[in-house]
Amino acid sequence: MSALISNVLTQVFITLIAVAGVYVLTGLTGMFSLGQAAFMAIGAYASGLLVIRAHLPIPLAMLLAVLLATVVGYLIGYPVVRLRRDYISLVTLGFGEAIAALLNRMTTLTGGASGLTGIPRTVGLGITAVSAVIAIALVASFKTSKYGRQCIALRGDPLAAQAMGINVTRVKMIAFLLSVALTAYSGCLYAFYMSYVDPSGFGWKKSADWVIMVFFGGVNSLTGSTIGAFVLSGLPQVLRSLQNYRYVIYAVLVLIILNFKPSGLLGEWELTPRNVKRLFAGKKKPAGENKEEV
Amino acid sequence: MALLEVKHIYKNFGGVKAIQDFSIEAEAGEIHGIIGPNGAGKTTIFNTISGVYAPDQGQVFLGGKDITHLEQYKITRLGMGRTFQNIRLFSGLTVEENVMCAFDPQSKYSVLGGLLPTPNRRREEKRGRELCAKYLEAVGMQDYLHERPENLSYGMQRRIEIARALMCEPKILLLDEPAAGLNPTEVAELTELISRISQQFGFGILLIEHRLELVMNVSHKIHVQNFGETIAVGTPEEVQHNPQVIEAYLGKEE
Repeated sequence: MSALISNVLTQVFITLIAVAGVYVLTGLTGMFSLGQAAFMAIGAYASGLLVIRAHLPIPLAMLLAVLLATVVGYLIGYPVVRLRRDYISLVTLGFGEAIAALLNRMTTLTGGASGLTGIPRTVGLGITAVSAVIAIALVASFKTSKYGRQCIALRGDPLAAQAMGINVTRVKMIAFLLSVALTAYSGCLYAFYMSYVDPSGFGWKKSADWVIMVFFGGVNSLTGSTIGAFVLSGLPQVLRSLQNYRYVIYAVLVLIILNFKPSGLLGEWELTPRNVKRLFAGKKKPAGENKEEV
Repeated sequence: MALLEVKHIYKNFGGVKAIQDFSIEAEAGEIHGIIGPNGAGKTTIFNTISGVYAPDQGQVFLGGKDITHLEQYKITRLGMGRTFQNIRLFSGLTVEENVMCAFDPQSKYSVLGGLLPTPNRRREEKRGRELCAKYLEAVGMQDYLHERPENLSYGMQRRIEIARALMCEPKILLLDEPAAGLNPTEVAELTELISRISQQFGFGILLIEHRLELVMNVSHKIHVQNFGETIAVGTPEEVQHNPQVIEAYLGKEE
């Protein structure tokens, strides 16, 4: 495999893990975070620093970094899960930008704007691919568990959810922390793949990118979100020459999707044995029978 | 002490006196109807009892426990189930998943089980699906497990909502206008359903309803509300002949 393709795929797999987290948050639970990339930054910086400065073994450093991000997630999540949808975006936006600014300012610890260098390059395509598959499998399992159901229930109607005995703030917190842990882990992989991190890549634009990927593929479908992340994070890497037009292309794609299929490419469709069977069974019947899943 | 005891509750919204001095005592197996014109504060009574908001004054006891200021989900878990005036099933979930949602808060597996198919999770999910089948059968919807509720008729959605409320394993069930939007055949079926589940599961029912043919048929006792006040309490026969009730419904004879 050529170095270019391997490089593109590795970065795509890292993004897939973060987007699996965003799917839990935005797709399942209906919370919009514009500060999610900050948790990737915490994962990347904390794991990198623990290895460079404290000489910890890499797996332990990653574990501690994910734990640290989860603790920070709990603190920021405490108000977030109690807020209305639009305020959640505001609070997380402020939090994300604050983290980016901190990383910029704390020069002695983080290297400031010039970034943190000298992280050993130990992560490759194999480990990121396996991690992405595991992350998506965990999220798929979460979706069909009691937690996933409660997330979907409270997303649509929090009052009715409470009336059924659902502890809305607790379920939202669990979803938020799962999302944070996944995103932080993707940050760890990112640090040990790039061997260099700087604060510029972890602003709200990155968080917004992930939300766009989820919406593009289908906000109610993990399969769709994964495909969305694959396409939208892979394309600009392959078409390097179009890098400058990335946001133009994004905007056009999103507008097209929103116009013709507001629920995203796949809507609610999931890749499950039952749905695949139905899809093939449907081919024999008159067209249109199974298409209206949404 | 009665199973459900509501003692002299008051609730104001700004200048609107939605509830003034409402009291009720309900035992297992009883059906209490609450009737009254629109705006009489009937749904507010349900919202106050079930913990959507706390009363300004007064107390609510369930099974002897003071639940006046408890959070809504905790009250539900202590044994209060409800349905809504305008159906509020969860979109994005199948009929089975909708009903399962009311079991999930009591389902005993941890976050680990949420991520991995642990034996604990399998056992609890199986228990949930069995209960789900039982309650969907009780309302006659057992053949629609994997349908989306939005594709089913209004009457069917009503019955799914009742099954979901049964899944909370209530001691007291609050039904808020269950017959709204149903045709006469469906109302007759619903009348039969309410009497049957009341006997089968033995909980107390509070029933808000405008369709008098339903409420007069099933209720043991009827509370008539008007402008936030209770104007009459009694058996269906008694309230039907109460002059104040007739006045509230039909207006005063000049």
